[in-house]
Order: sequence, then structure tokens, then C-alpha cells
Amino acid sequence: MDYTLILATALGAISLYLMLPRGRAALVKLGALIGVLALGAGLLGWFHWTAQEQAVHYPGPPAIFFYIFAAIALASAAGVVCHPRPLYAALYFVLLTLAAAALFLLLRAEFIAVVLIIIYAGAILVTYVFVIMLASPGGEIPAADYDRISADPLAAVLVSFLLLGTILQMMSYGQAALAHGPGAVPAAGPAGFGGMGMLGANLYSHYALPLELAGVLLTVSLVGAVMIARKNEPPVRMLDSGEIPAE
Amino acid sequence: MSNPVLYRYLALGAALFAVGLVGFLTRRNMIMIFLSTEIMFQGIAINLIAFSCYHQNAAGQSFVIFLLTIAAAEASLALGLVVMLFRRRETLNVDAWSDMQG
Repeated sequence: MDYTLILATALGAISLYLMLPRGRAALVKLGALIGVLALGAGLLGWFHWTAQEQAVHYPGPPAIFFYIFAAIALASAAGVVCHPRPLYAALYFVLLTLAAAALFLLLRAEFIAVVLIIIYAGAILVTYVFVIMLASPGGEIPAADYDRISADPLAAVLVSFLLLGTILQMMSYGQAALAHGPGAVPAAGPAGFGGMGMLGANLYSHYALPLELAGVLLTVSLVGAVMIARKNEPPVRMLDSGEIPAE
Repeated sequence: MSNPVLYRYLALGAALFAVGLVGFLTRRNMIMIFLSTEIMFQGIAINLIAFSCYHQNAAGQSFVIFLLTIAAAEASLALGLVVMLFRRRETLNVDAWSDMQG
């Protein structure tokens, strides 16, 4: 049993439970404080793992970058979930995307990092913001009731964090087993891992057909979205000659 | 990349997934529900990229490309549906549609 991780999970659950919108503002600060404690406990748990890492001597970016961006990602994810105003939640999600892109850079997935910023922060989030603005009932100043009062926070937090605690415990066991068993030393791997060329070669040699199908899927969903969101206006009648009659 | 480094990233991915799941279950705004699924997508993407780096294999990065495609298709369709549903009842509250539960 890894008690630091259990503590971190429990603190995270309490903090998220306190921060979920319930029409009261005072609990948000307390929740954020406990959230910082949870991040600290998680950091301790991770340091426990990192202690074994020193022996391996992996030549990579220093771990401090991971801790910084992981904390930003988790905090902004909590912001998305807990902020009562959808527009601010979308902006927190942009922050989460940027932190994830930085983590991808640390993992030598440069192209994915750039694509994530362009597609997620650029395209998908702009769509979200547009829909939030289109579908806001009459420019209300206080957030709507269904945004200020969340549904069943206790059950949701319990379910999610039981799942997280189980995953972390199992990973802790696996970590302990792997660290002492054979095969723990990482492969040096082929030289030149990372970068766009490697990804392109992999995509077009192993996944060429799925890539084309992904393009078809995007086209289909684009047409479907246009059809769904179209206003129900009476169809324009056309003459047999293909002209639209002037009325 | 060594084991502890991999496990750190996996733990972060699992935590992001859990936070997104909380949002998915608690929020009552349709747009926020879909935004929470995007958080879960991010957790999965971090998992895939971490395994890709650990095994020095580009397949994980290719899968993230497909994941981004699915996320984009899902976002466009879901937001189209949200716009349509908003026009019908003038609210984003999912409870307004609870009469659909048969």
C-alpha cells in the first residue's frame, strides 16, 4: 500500500468536492487550498518513485518541468470542472491544452504538441466558445441556475476518485515489481526518435488506410453537423429549369 | 525513459481522466458535459504519448492523431446537437430533456 498516494487521492477528492459549484463562494478557496495540499502529497508520492529513478540515469529533461506542467494541467482541469461560467471554463481548458502540449514536448512528440495547440486551442475551443455565446439565454449576468448548482457532487466525486485510487494503487504495485524485476532498464531505442519525419513515416506506412478513413469521417461529421444545426425553414421551391422563382 | 518517468505520466493521465469524469457526472450544462469529455481525451492522449516515448515507437503518436480526429468530429457533431436542442427549449440544462428517458 502506498499511503502517500492514497492521501493525495483523498485530498484531491475532498478539494474537488468543495470546489464544485453549489451556489456558495467561500468553499472554493478552502477547496483550492486542499487541492494544493493534494498536489503536494502527490508530489511526495512521485518523489518516492523518483528515488529509484536516480539509479537509472535517464538523460532527459529535468523532472521539475514535468511537475510544473502537471500541476498547471491538473489545476486548470479542476478550473474547467468547477467554474460556474462556461466561458471561463473554456478558457481554463485552453490553459490545460497548453500544459499538455508542453508535456508532449518533454516526451519528444513535437508535432503532436503543435497540432494539439492548433486543433484544440485553435479550432475546437473556438467552436466551443462560439456555441457558448450563441446558446446563452439572453446575456445573463449571474450564471444560470444549472451552472451554479451541480448534480450529485458527492456520488460523482466518490466514483471518480475510487477509480483513480484503484488505478494509482495498481500502478504502484506494478512500479515496485518492475523496478526489481528484469526488463526494468529502458531500451535506448533507435536513434532519432521524435520529430515529424518519424511520425509521418509511421502514419503513412502502417496506418495509411485509417488515415484516409479519418479524412472521410471528418467530412461526414462536417456535413452532419451542418444538417443538424440547420434552421428548419421551408425548402426553397425550384422551377423545373433549376431557377428560383422570384416572389 | 525509465519506469518512474513513465509511471508519473500515467498517473497524471489517470488523474486528468478522473477530474474529467467528475465534471461529466456533475455538470448540468450540455456544453460543459462535452468539455469534460475533452479533459478525459487529454488524459488518454498523455497516456498514449508516454507509452510512445517509453517504447520508442511512433505508433502511440499516430494514435493521438486519430484521437484528435475523433475529438474534432465529436465536438462538431455534439455542438451542432447542442445548438439544435437549445433552439427547441431555450435552455442548456440537460434536465430539460429528462422526459426522453422513457
